[in-house]
Amino acid sequence: MSVAQLAGGRVPRVARRAAQREWLFIVAAVVLLGIVVMALFGPLLAPYDPDQLFVGPSNGAVSASHIMGTDDLGRDIFSRVLSGAAASVFAPVVVVVLSGVLGATLAVVAAWFGGWVDGVSNRIIDVIFAIPGLVLAILAVAMFGKGLVAPVLALSIAYLPIVSRLVRGGARAELGKPYMAALRIQGVSSGAIAFRHLVPALLPMIIAQSTIGFGYAMLDLAAISFLGLGAQPPASDWGVMISAGQASLLTGAPEQSVFPALLVVVTVLAVNILGARVTAWAEGKDS
Amino acid sequence: MNRATIRPLLGKLGGLLLTLFLASVVIFAALQLTGDPIAAITGGVRPTPELIETIRAQYHLDDPIWLQYLRWLGGIVTGDLGTSFVYKTPVVDLIAPRIGITVLLVLYTVVLIVVFGIGSGILAARRGGATDKAVLVATSVGVALPTFVVAILLIWLFGRELGWFPVYGAGEGLLDNLYHLTLPAISLSVLYIAYLSRITRGAVVAQLGSEHVDTARVRGIPSEQIFRRHVFLNASPQVLSISGATIAGLFAISAIAEVAFGIGGLGSLLTEAAARKDLPVVQVISLMLVALFVVVNAVVDVIIAAIDPDSAKPRRNA
Amino acid sequence: MSDLVLELDHLSIAAPAPLAAPGAGPRTIVHDVTLQVSAGESVGLVGESGSGKTLSVRSVAGLLPAGFTTTGAIRVEGHDLAQLPKAELRRLRATRIGMVFQTPRAHLNPLRTIGDFMTEALIAVAKERPDAARRRAVDLLAEVGIPDPERRMRQRPAELSGGLLQRVMIAATLAMDPPILLADEITTALDVTTQEEVMAVIADLRKHRDLTLLFITHDLALAGAVCDRVAVMQHGRVVETLNAATMRQDATDPYTKRLLSASLPGEVSAERPTDAADPVLVVQSLRKVFSVLSPKGRREEFVAVDDVGFRLEPGGSLGIVGESGSGKSTTARVICGLEAADAGTVLVKGEDWTKAARGTKARRHRARIAQMVFQDPYQSLDRRQTVRECLSEAVAVHRPRASRVELTARVDELLTAVTLDLDLAGQRPRSLSGGQRQRVAIARALAADPEILVLDEAVSALDVTTQVEILTLLDRIRRETGVALLMISHDLTTVRRVCDQVVVMKSGRVIEQGPIADVLDDPRADYTRTLLDSIPREGWVPRRRIPTRTASLPAVATRATRIIPAESVAPESIPRRGEKT
Repeated sequence: MSVAQLAGGRVPRVARRAAQREWLFIVAAVVLLGIVVMALFGPLLAPYDPDQLFVGPSNGAVSASHIMGTDDLGRDIFSRVLSGAAASVFAPVVVVVLSGVLGATLAVVAAWFGGWVDGVSNRIIDVIFAIPGLVLAILAVAMFGKGLVAPVLALSIAYLPIVSRLVRGGARAELGKPYMAALRIQGVSSGAIAFRHLVPALLPMIIAQSTIGFGYAMLDLAAISFLGLGAQPPASDWGVMISAGQASLLTGAPEQSVFPALLVVVTVLAVNILGARVTAWAEGKDS
Repeated sequence: MNRATIRPLLGKLGGLLLTLFLASVVIFAALQLTGDPIAAITGGVRPTPELIETIRAQYHLDDPIWLQYLRWLGGIVTGDLGTSFVYKTPVVDLIAPRIGITVLLVLYTVVLIVVFGIGSGILAARRGGATDKAVLVATSVGVALPTFVVAILLIWLFGRELGWFPVYGAGEGLLDNLYHLTLPAISLSVLYIAYLSRITRGAVVAQLGSEHVDTARVRGIPSEQIFRRHVFLNASPQVLSISGATIAGLFAISAIAEVAFGIGGLGSLLTEAAARKDLPVVQVISLMLVALFVVVNAVVDVIIAAIDPDSAKPRRNA
Repeated sequence: MSDLVLELDHLSIAAPAPLAAPGAGPRTIVHDVTLQVSAGESVGLVGESGSGKTLSVRSVAGLLPAGFTTTGAIRVEGHDLAQLPKAELRRLRATRIGMVFQTPRAHLNPLRTIGDFMTEALIAVAKERPDAARRRAVDLLAEVGIPDPERRMRQRPAELSGGLLQRVMIAATLAMDPPILLADEITTALDVTTQEEVMAVIADLRKHRDLTLLFITHDLALAGAVCDRVAVMQHGRVVETLNAATMRQDATDPYTKRLLSASLPGEVSAERPTDAADPVLVVQSLRKVFSVLSPKGRREEFVAVDDVGFRLEPGGSLGIVGESGSGKSTTARVICGLEAADAGTVLVKGEDWTKAARGTKARRHRARIAQMVFQDPYQSLDRRQTVRECLSEAVAVHRPRASRVELTARVDELLTAVTLDLDLAGQRPRSLSGGQRQRVAIARALAADPEILVLDEAVSALDVTTQVEILTLLDRIRRETGVALLMISHDLTTVRRVCDQVVVMKSGRVIEQGPIADVLDDPRADYTRTLLDSIPREGWVPRRRIPTRTASLPAVATRATRIIPAESVAPESIPRRGEKT
């Protein structure tokens, strides 16, 4: 469903070159820091109660008292964006961590043992890969009902193949290098080889992949909320706000949709820039 | 393609069928075991025990799960896709009228993605300089522009401000369909155009710097011919495989554009069915999407194998 | 037009400033190189890695990497390349210069057939009709000794061996009848016997076509044998230009002398009296079979090692020599437990090592007896570990209770044993040279005080002068510690320097074995003699072992005459070593 699933989430070379531009990286880092602050302290910073109706006019324009305007029910959009930041930002983190840990573990185990273990793991990964992420999320919603939990779990599984294929490839390449053979011949224990040599060699790759994966997870989760299957109104998840504001677009009041949309885009852009940087770092470790 | 190429392809095909079978088991079993069909069928009315019994018998809910699965699979093979819990009509009658518009939307999107994605990628790789930079900036923003964001921007821009294109519904007749699907197709394609553009650029740049292209240059082959015969040909497997995965995935994500622009296609039906726990509909459409995904990827694999026979061969296990 | 066809006139080449430090400015890699090549002459450009020889020749072909700049002049047949208009330059390079590269596989489009490759320039540049181009391509393939050229025309590069591909490259280059041939390390990736075949092709072509040759190589002996003059490069400068026939006498530069001595066949190491002691390693009827995919896509058995047997005395040194695919490395890997044998036995100090060790304890026990050093010193070290971490880990495996001080002392001792500066202990592999990395790998192997040291092509990735240093070190270590060496190599010269016993392998089987002096100085097997004859040396004339049509060509051909042999029947296809048919 997402770009993440197309090419193992790798960032094309162009983006890596962009990452060498220092100022761009600094801007991206500052933006992300701002987003994280919003996610952590959003409700404390909000000037109004996000769910309080008619703190301003219906579909009010941007003004000094409502810096992002007000929505169709007169709620303060800025306050709603702040209170929705936590779910919008942390849900993708959960997806990335779950899929990263599961996928990397599966990959390392498959590469280490090879044979039928690898075969079974490959088959599992192939089946998951064949079900597009959005379909898996919709299946999960049909199973467990609407809300964020089902899509988060579904996407964690849907992202497994990306992480797992990447890390399995990396692990196999690493295990095939002569230094692994040298360690065995030296009599170093398997545990030490796995945890002192193999896993640290793979970590940069996993971290880089997770950074990129965060952006995609955020887009996918917002899309699911947009479809009305994720977070439910009156929650102010950004995807929900974008969807709820659609009716007002035609009446000339785009604020309710456009501001959260802008935030989603800016966050993902910043994460991508950071991800390119992290990928360049990981590949530097590799050569 | 000779036998050496076809043999591993057949092996791959077998793997795909197995994948498809396992996916169908997952789709069926997961929903059948966790869903609460009675509530979905009765639509929230508290059922009497007799009614529950009737329903369970009617939908064979008391049979063992594997028997239910076989009956379901047998039905799908013979064209009986089951009955919707919510509408109480055959699933076929729900899907049939909606499938055409989704296919049309996906095809429209594919054309946009292939033309602009591959085109801009090649342009950036060959021109370099300012063109390359402009494409880089555009695609950097593009890969952060998901369908729903582009959709609301387009609805705002065209629905309110410009009014050149319709922002709701699918229209009547092919030309009107295409006219109505323009904005949905754009909203679906932006992110993938950007992505494919980067992939294409990367693949072309890699080939331009490759040693066999050096050889062609030393031999004085005209650059247009080098590009056609050595650069683009060799970059195409990578571009094709990404294009294939994109197209395969579009059938699923078209749901977002369908919902945003009020188009009655497969995707919006699936979304609505999931929200209302209409299991037979969700199962059938999900399986269709998975099958499409697998088939499109398989077709692309065959095309790639025709260009590069070695791609079909399994790696030797060391 | 002067007699000079190719002239580098005070050529310098600078690399762009590194991205990491844009302020540093361009770095000059090639300094003020002057080289003149007359018509029909063959000049060798010799140097080790980083000497700038390849960059120099690539600048002639117009293949410098992006951002590289040149000063000075390159003149081809009197034309200054910098002064020529673009179209003219392209035409000149396409028709007057042919270039052949080190890695033919990378330089041929993998997705196009040999026929496409052969005819492309003929059609696009020489404007020949496709059927005429095709006929000529087949003739050219036959001329360079490719059996069954019609069939080869339909194949893709993946279906041909490296030696055949290199001939395809040469044939394709000849299609335009260029008077100048640039050859960049064209035989480095090939086995010695294949190298001889390719060099024989080049020698024939020079004779029949009056080619001017600029021959780039790291192998001074090879250059001396096939060139008229030899220019030696070091650190981007030409240190000396010598007449090939008399270079051993004329050389004055110390670096040239070092290169010369490195390429001399070393003294056969003094044979030690074999004491009655039991052998430390006995290998008997070893067999190893791999399951591989045939070209038709079927699973097939490939017998990598077949009925191999030998013994290694304590403190002895045994060389296993063979070309690629001979099974020599597989044999070493089975002995070290990295592969499982399918039949036969491996006895080490009387213990049965035929099965790979299971479990850490068993592996540790074996680690104290046998250690291994690999070909690629960079890949065989963990890039994240410093030298000291790497060696400490190796020591600690066998001394789990050793204190930090003891570990440090032992690591220092190991570093000293391999003559590595103690200051390097804090470095990571990336900042070490190839020779230093290989010393670390040797030190790590010695950490366990092993009785057998298996060296799998341990010096083949290194420059020749470094090779000599490492071999000398290994010899010294053997004398001082009494460790037995099992040396796997494709290079008879290497083995001669260190080993007192030798096993010659081919296609998985032992061809001949015995004391080094007996086998190398008086070989009984034809194959051993062939191997020995393929080594370039003074007065060496590369020979073709397969009859080809070049023999029937007119003896004199000028640049203007196109050589089209009368008969167009391919020579009898003879199955050859190491080549797919």
